[in-house]
Amino acid sequence: MNHLPQAWGRPRDDVYGAYDHSHFQTQLPNQHTQSPIVTGTSVVAAKFKDGVVIAADNLASYGSLARFTDVKRLRKFNDEVVVGFGGDVSDMQYLDRLLNSLDIRENYSNNENPLHAKNLHTYLAKVMYKRRSDFDPLWNHLLVTGLDGEKKPFLASVDLLGTTFSSPTLATGFGAHLAQPILRRTIPDEDAVANVSQEEAVKLVQECMKVLFYRDARSMDKYSIAVITTSGVELKQDEKLENQSWAFAERIRGYGTQVN
Amino acid sequence: MTSIGTGYDLSNSVFSPDGRNFQVEYAVKAVENGGTAIGIRCKDGVVLALEKLVTSKLQKPDANKRISTVDRNIGIVSSGLLPDGRHFVSRARDEAASWRSLYKAPIPTSALANRMGSYAQAYTLYSSVRPFGVTAIIGGWDSEAELPVDGQVGSGPKVGAGGKKEDGKHGGPFLYMIEPSGLYWGYYGAATGKGRQVAKSELEKLNLSEGGLSLEEGVKEAARIIHVAHDDNKDKEFELEMTWISSLDGPTKGRHEEVPKELREEAERLAKKSLEPEDDDEEEEKMQE
Amino acid sequence: MAAIFSGAPPQGGPGYSFNQTPRTAPSGLRQHHGFYPYTDNGGSTLGISGADFTILAGDTRSTSGYNINTRYAPKLFKIGGEGPDNKNARIVLSVVGFAADGDALKERLDTIVKMYKYQHGKEMSVAACAQRLSHILYNKRFFPYYVHAILGGLDEEGRGALYSYDPVGSYEREQCRAAGAAASLIMPFLDNQVNFKNQYEPGSGTGHDLQAKVAAPLPRDTVEELVRDAFTSAVERHIEVGDGLQMMIITRDGIQETLTPLKQD
Repeated sequence: MNHLPQAWGRPRDDVYGAYDHSHFQTQLPNQHTQSPIVTGTSVVAAKFKDGVVIAADNLASYGSLARFTDVKRLRKFNDEVVVGFGGDVSDMQYLDRLLNSLDIRENYSNNENPLHAKNLHTYLAKVMYKRRSDFDPLWNHLLVTGLDGEKKPFLASVDLLGTTFSSPTLATGFGAHLAQPILRRTIPDEDAVANVSQEEAVKLVQECMKVLFYRDARSMDKYSIAVITTSGVELKQDEKLENQSWAFAERIRGYGTQVN
Repeated sequence: MTSIGTGYDLSNSVFSPDGRNFQVEYAVKAVENGGTAIGIRCKDGVVLALEKLVTSKLQKPDANKRISTVDRNIGIVSSGLLPDGRHFVSRARDEAASWRSLYKAPIPTSALANRMGSYAQAYTLYSSVRPFGVTAIIGGWDSEAELPVDGQVGSGPKVGAGGKKEDGKHGGPFLYMIEPSGLYWGYYGAATGKGRQVAKSELEKLNLSEGGLSLEEGVKEAARIIHVAHDDNKDKEFELEMTWISSLDGPTKGRHEEVPKELREEAERLAKKSLEPEDDDEEEEKMQE
Repeated sequence: MAAIFSGAPPQGGPGYSFNQTPRTAPSGLRQHHGFYPYTDNGGSTLGISGADFTILAGDTRSTSGYNINTRYAPKLFKIGGEGPDNKNARIVLSVVGFAADGDALKERLDTIVKMYKYQHGKEMSVAACAQRLSHILYNKRFFPYYVHAILGGLDEEGRGALYSYDPVGSYEREQCRAAGAAASLIMPFLDNQVNFKNQYEPGSGTGHDLQAKVAAPLPRDTVEELVRDAFTSAVERHIEVGDGLQMMIITRDGIQETLTPLKQD
């Protein structure tokens, strides 16, 4: 035993080497999320003439491992807002609880004007920007969908840096590369929205989910889809991709029967 | 024994020689002047009702709500000093929120009643504070469904151990009343305020412990009891304020909400009708003639 | 407490069996910082001031790498007006760079200018607003707003006023300024066309006899034409610029806003 009390009860440096005090975190800065752990992939959404469609698959990956296969990544906030989450699942759960407490506080008084999608987007943007400014980001990319203050379709995104933008169609993650071009083919601009029916929009988004399942290795064929209109939110969380056709693979080297 | 002049009523935390805390008893007096508040625990929900005395014609009708929501599934109505009631509700909301942040689930009504009872009791112990001048009725519906943890994203394993006991009773309606002393009990029907004696005897007639009364009937009974308990001679004007909490498959889907205007007006119409027996007698007399 | 568990043994103190033991923890993977709080959302802005007007312009494309986030994300903001649409505003701020910082900066400046009006009962002058903006940026110089800001309005004599900034608050009043992704393409064009750099009086001779053409405030339609030309050219040569051209023209009659299409490729 050593006569210095500082050394008591600690691993002996001569045996174990100096103790890594960053584990002890006395004066060091807090360790924040530096990378996501369990993640969800793309979220896709599109406006149509009287509402918005949003979809995300039900997979949460742990790196390349398909870890959880029934994860619901669309959250209904109230009768006119749905938020879709891509990125870290634990941060999504934190945001879910945050929205829960916000909703509870909103309903203390019998509110005539409930928070609409635009309000919620502004709120979430400020939360995300604050956390990135504290170097403690919430590792998510969110799509906020629903109706704005004038009951018009609303669709906008926020990412882990607090960057916000709005567009008639949006897709996060891999979907920004694969789904967005497909969506833009039908809905190139805000004017085109008025010509798209709910059925068309749903089919379009389902088509995107299929393409994403074909080509995004971190995706799956079970997904959630929500339609938000003035008559409320229709959220289905146990959908499966139908009419898959791998015929296109025939022509691709390495996929089909072609060997060389 | 009277308290006047003995000095034992000047401070909290001082007992009189015969074991009474006069400050608490004075607080009860404050409650006895408030408008009647009642709660009814029905088989499929809870009703809270309040005789809101209108102190000025300059106040907007149907505004200035007095029955408050705590979390989503619990309501509190109180009688006595209004600001004390507001502070009480504010504390209840904080308790509910802190329960959620700890357990990621809504606070059970019993747990909230327990915490609020302790809170009220603490205000009888110290000379630096006075007891709450309110008696509060807490009504809630604890979900009968398997509730997901807040933020839960999956449905969990489909096989294996865990989960609730199959045939046990889960959730349901709950009603508690907390007095200025911090004393609280669970009730089938609770009443406080000016008309509590009349209201209590009316509540007893409903045989609530048999569990036969439905929520809709409860709403009508609550409206009637508030009208019966109201003393027309002393207080002229009042508004009936009513909230309810039903089961998940009921009208409020397990949430504490205001009773819809149409239903409340219908209940009030029936209440007023039942208070005018002369009409019925006249009709009967005519029939006999 | 912290002193006791501060890590290394007391200075010069022995106590340990061997002197060769490592005194510092090995630096491993845990040390590095994986989060970078900035991104570049592309796009370009420009401003030109005239004798009695100022024009600010910016494209409406927002990008992340090779992706187009949206084809309509305005970079021009009215400052200190009334209501959600900033009615009757007389100052315009343009921001280009990291859009989230740009929005945060816009919101801060806007509330400050509004508060100034509520507290003093008069509009803030462009010069005062310009200096205030500089202070906002400078105050955050150790974690800057990653934006190039341009502020435009009319000065107290009614002349066009244009101020340009770097991300940490250094600023200057200028005739014209281009900022953002295509700044290096547009600025030389503006130097030549607005300030007449490398332009000489015809027939003034050769060599040292050449007389530089003197810059004077340009008329409004000429300036509008210059802005359009600058952007259509930038769109051709820069992938982060395109989709739409938003212009705000500040005159004594207020702010006139236009939106014209640019190529979407």
